[in-house]
Amino acid sequence: MNATESVNAIKGGEFLIRDTPAASIFIPEEWNEEQLMIAETCTNFLAQHVVPNLNRIDEQEEGLMPHLMEEAGALGLLSISVPEEYGGFGKDFKTSMLVTEKLGAGNSFSVAFSAHTGIGTLPILYYGTEAQKAKYIPKLASGEWKGAYCLTEPGAGSDANSGKSRARLSEDGKYYLITGQKMWITNAGFADVFTVFAKIDNDENLSAFIVEKGFEGLSLNTEEHKMGIKGSSTRQVFFNDCKVPVENLLSERQNGFKIAVNILNLGRIKLGGATIGASKEIITQSVRYANEREQFGRPISKYGAIRYKLAQQVIRTYASESAIYRASQNMEEATEHMVATGMDEIKAKLKGTEQYAIEAAIIKVDASETLDYVVDEGVQIYGGMGYSAEAPMDRAYRDSRINRIFEGTNEINRMLTVDMMLKRAMKGELDLMGPAQKVAGELMSIPDFNAVDEEGLFVKEKKYIANFKKAVLMVAGSAVQKLMAQLGKEQEVLMNLADMLIELYVSESIQLRVEKLVGMRGEEACKEHLDMMRVYVNDAAEKINKSGKEALNAFAEGDERRMMLMGLRRYTKTEDLNTTQARRNIAAKVISENKYCF
Amino acid sequence: MAVIVLVEHTEGNIKKKSFEAVQYAANIAQKTGTGVTAVVLGTVAEAEMTALGQYGAQKVLHVADARLDELHARAYASALMTAIQKEDSKVIVTLHDINGRAVAPRLAVKLKAGLVAGALSYPDMANGFVIKKAVFSGKAFAFVNITSDVKVISVMPNTFPLQSIDGKATIEKLEVTFGDKDFGIKVKEVNKVKGEVSLADAELVVSGGRGMKGPENWGLIEDLAKEMGAATACSRPVADADWRPHHEHVGQTGGTIRPNLYVAVGISGAIQHLAGVNGSKTIVVINKDPEAPFFKAANYGVIGDAMEVLPRLTEAVKRFKETHK
Amino acid sequence: MKILVCISQVPDTSTKIILKDNNTAINNQGTTWIINPYDEWYALIKALELKESGIATEVHLVTVGKADVEPVIRKALALGGDEAIRIDADSTDSYQTASYIADYARSVGYELVLCGKESIDYNNGTTGTMIAELLDADYIGFATHIQTEGNTVIVQREIEGGEETDSCSLPAVVSCQKGVAEARIPNMRGIMAARTRPLKVIIPTEVVAVTTILSYELPPAKAGIRLINPDNMDELVELLHTEAKVI
Repeated sequence: MNATESVNAIKGGEFLIRDTPAASIFIPEEWNEEQLMIAETCTNFLAQHVVPNLNRIDEQEEGLMPHLMEEAGALGLLSISVPEEYGGFGKDFKTSMLVTEKLGAGNSFSVAFSAHTGIGTLPILYYGTEAQKAKYIPKLASGEWKGAYCLTEPGAGSDANSGKSRARLSEDGKYYLITGQKMWITNAGFADVFTVFAKIDNDENLSAFIVEKGFEGLSLNTEEHKMGIKGSSTRQVFFNDCKVPVENLLSERQNGFKIAVNILNLGRIKLGGATIGASKEIITQSVRYANEREQFGRPISKYGAIRYKLAQQVIRTYASESAIYRASQNMEEATEHMVATGMDEIKAKLKGTEQYAIEAAIIKVDASETLDYVVDEGVQIYGGMGYSAEAPMDRAYRDSRINRIFEGTNEINRMLTVDMMLKRAMKGELDLMGPAQKVAGELMSIPDFNAVDEEGLFVKEKKYIANFKKAVLMVAGSAVQKLMAQLGKEQEVLMNLADMLIELYVSESIQLRVEKLVGMRGEEACKEHLDMMRVYVNDAAEKINKSGKEALNAFAEGDERRMMLMGLRRYTKTEDLNTTQARRNIAAKVISENKYCF
Repeated sequence: MAVIVLVEHTEGNIKKKSFEAVQYAANIAQKTGTGVTAVVLGTVAEAEMTALGQYGAQKVLHVADARLDELHARAYASALMTAIQKEDSKVIVTLHDINGRAVAPRLAVKLKAGLVAGALSYPDMANGFVIKKAVFSGKAFAFVNITSDVKVISVMPNTFPLQSIDGKATIEKLEVTFGDKDFGIKVKEVNKVKGEVSLADAELVVSGGRGMKGPENWGLIEDLAKEMGAATACSRPVADADWRPHHEHVGQTGGTIRPNLYVAVGISGAIQHLAGVNGSKTIVVINKDPEAPFFKAANYGVIGDAMEVLPRLTEAVKRFKETHK
Repeated sequence: MKILVCISQVPDTSTKIILKDNNTAINNQGTTWIINPYDEWYALIKALELKESGIATEVHLVTVGKADVEPVIRKALALGGDEAIRIDADSTDSYQTASYIADYARSVGYELVLCGKESIDYNNGTTGTMIAELLDADYIGFATHIQTEGNTVIVQREIEGGEETDSCSLPAVVSCQKGVAEARIPNMRGIMAARTRPLKVIIPTEVVAVTTILSYELPPAKAGIRLINPDNMDELVELLHTEAKVI
């Protein structure tokens, strides 16, 4: 990558107003041999160490999960992107995403893994002093020590900065004494190091502290009884004048909330990766079952109702995955660019991630909802066996559900998506106004009826996606104008706008991915991929139309409403497509391969 | 030009599968208008050797060197080379078993001959010298043409049904000059499992999988095997979990077996397992999961809990034996 | 001691075999390739163990194949090994394969050659023995345990109906199966090192194949299952006697 390219690189949120060339995105079909080997190591690790032990893990057998973490650490899987000077492998962000994805199929293990390598390790790695990093990171990287992250409190979940935990300096000035109660703490039962958020005295903002298990005044509650991810340790952690040496303050005083937000940005896209890994595994199990289970003398995979489900599982997974790696590449390139212009690497990483916080929130929502769809239909494909605790769908179904809740609920993330977009526009970082006004002008003019004359494999979809952007700009622009400061309170409208943005981003991502792939492999080898893209974009048009209509009906009135509804119809119009045949083609492929094969 | 066949014995008793090899050689001899010369190595009684005539051997070349009672592949190969030169043989037959697999490849190299390892058919000589063998651990068969002048074939045991004829083989002593290296391998210790049927040669096999729940339930498998005179086997997860010794593991990465009857208990029937057993003539599957893929590969199926079905089956076999004494 | 490990590329064990070109070839489209499990899990890991315990000085890997087998060789190198050798030839004939490997092995001089007990594609289990014959060396097959004492290799191996312990002097060829070593998963360090370990390509002096595969056939489908009531095991036994004629 040269400097000019990165200057021209698409900024976070800019997808709404700017097109991306297919050649510039990263697609998972480009994994290199080394990355594929790493992925295989993850898959083998799950197959040999995790899958045979899923029941024991869920029973929280004493010492098993920490042992599995150590095994993963011995393979190097806990420190993929930790710098080499701290005992890691210094691999790029995408590679660490790949590892997260592959281990994402590991049910509760995946949760423990993600918590340890993400929120358990990264705050110290990104914000720690040299001494703090030297002390903690090598042990966390090897798995000798396990990490946890204490932010949420009984009264402070989505509103994290409102926590009641307090820290005060001891009389001798050597310690902070933390008092408070933290809740839903993943890995708490076996963690050696906790990143703890608390306000010092009467500060407005949180500060962060590195707290070791053995520090005086730290105690654990019993394990929570949860719907799913039963094998992951989740406890309350109590701090009672917990003595934390002053040198364990992480970053500056009152910088905690910023740490929390930045770590969450990363956590969100990583969660997307993990859920896609789980989705792929569930699809493989679903298709295997559908091929084996016979009813009325034929495997149920021969029936259209089942084929529809398999195809839909595949399409949504492939589309979500396209968005995840597209954004991962953006983050990585932005980071590389900032490092090239002289920024400190870790600062650049944080900035690079922050730059694409909108995309991360979109991905968190989309990928977690994809997995929920995939497991739900997985249960359905298994039929009666799907409801049996002896079949794998039971666990998968329960384990999936948390993903829509943690790392910021999907509702919070939807609101953030719109909020961040508008804030960037307000700050002048994104020029939404110009394009929105252009769309408004277009509404007044004679429509071009969307006639697509040009020939070409992607001409239609590109046109549709360009129109989706107009639809979002029109509805969002109008909402801002009408509701002004009230918009923040009209959560239903925010949800509508977020849904439109999500569908737009994912549609564009799958379109670009398939376009690039056809360039690499040729049209003949990508028939099912083209079908996936066509069905996805077709369905996205319907969803954007529905969300847009709901929003417009909520705040617009009279002629203006009528005009915008007409415009919305125009911007979400697609040519007829035999989606049934397209889904059959996609299903036929996974059925013949007997596994997720894209 | 006689077809040479290596005959194996256990403590002087010629193995049944060697009769199959002799009969196989006789088929080729008949097609090529030659005879069959069996090579017997070690200490075997004359009557045993003469009886090879019943499967088509005209002549036995006997190397009465007691050192050959145990497998010494290089010495075996030297002895066979002496016999081959003496008979000017173009076709050499061994079994595809542990011994045959140690000897046949050496002969193939010495003779620059093509080798078909694990023959499942008599050669088709209409278009060359084409023999069927299993590949991909039984997921497919290949038709292999031997293009060299001399041919070596190792025959899959328990594949060719025996039909005895009247006949006696003449016995000739064969003197072999062994080289320095022929007895290079020193056997330090032998542990034969007495009284049990060896899995590779077993005609009846009872096999258990994960559905057996744990090693403590294996008595049920062993009881049935004992009643039937069968060998016991297991699936890979069972061997991996150390419920059973690894030599009992059958499947693509374990042993490949071709018994007359394979009784699979609590084995789901993954493609890797099927690969190792689908050469079995009859397959009985006992599984409580009616969706187990193994049922698709079975001749007879019992849907039920192994812990209940196995004792009943053992009793039924016992009753059958009493009425068919 | 220098050890040579013979590696073969095979289709993943879950691969369904599909035929093409009028049943004269296997359709490999979409096949996942792996290292032959016996070569990887047992032969290669045993060699690495011998190196880790200071007995072996160098572990080399050899395979016969065209450039498309290199990803699988590097997977093997990710587990360990000092260098790999690819003998640039396409071979399905054991004699040809063994001749290429033996020619190469002779040129370097290895004390111990390890291979899997057979490859799971052509199931011959003959290459190791042939290499031994070509090298004028002893061969011990079906090893379940291997140790060395000076110039001697001591091998526990499967025999009919049991096990025996054999020994012979080096150089020797030993084929490995379960028990010899525990399978390993390549770790990050190994994966990253795989790129830097040398992979030499050797053009062999051609050896003519002595067998050719003319065609393939898939096993016939079972005629259909007969279900027996679990309460009526007498019926099953009777059917096995009168219908299947196996007892």
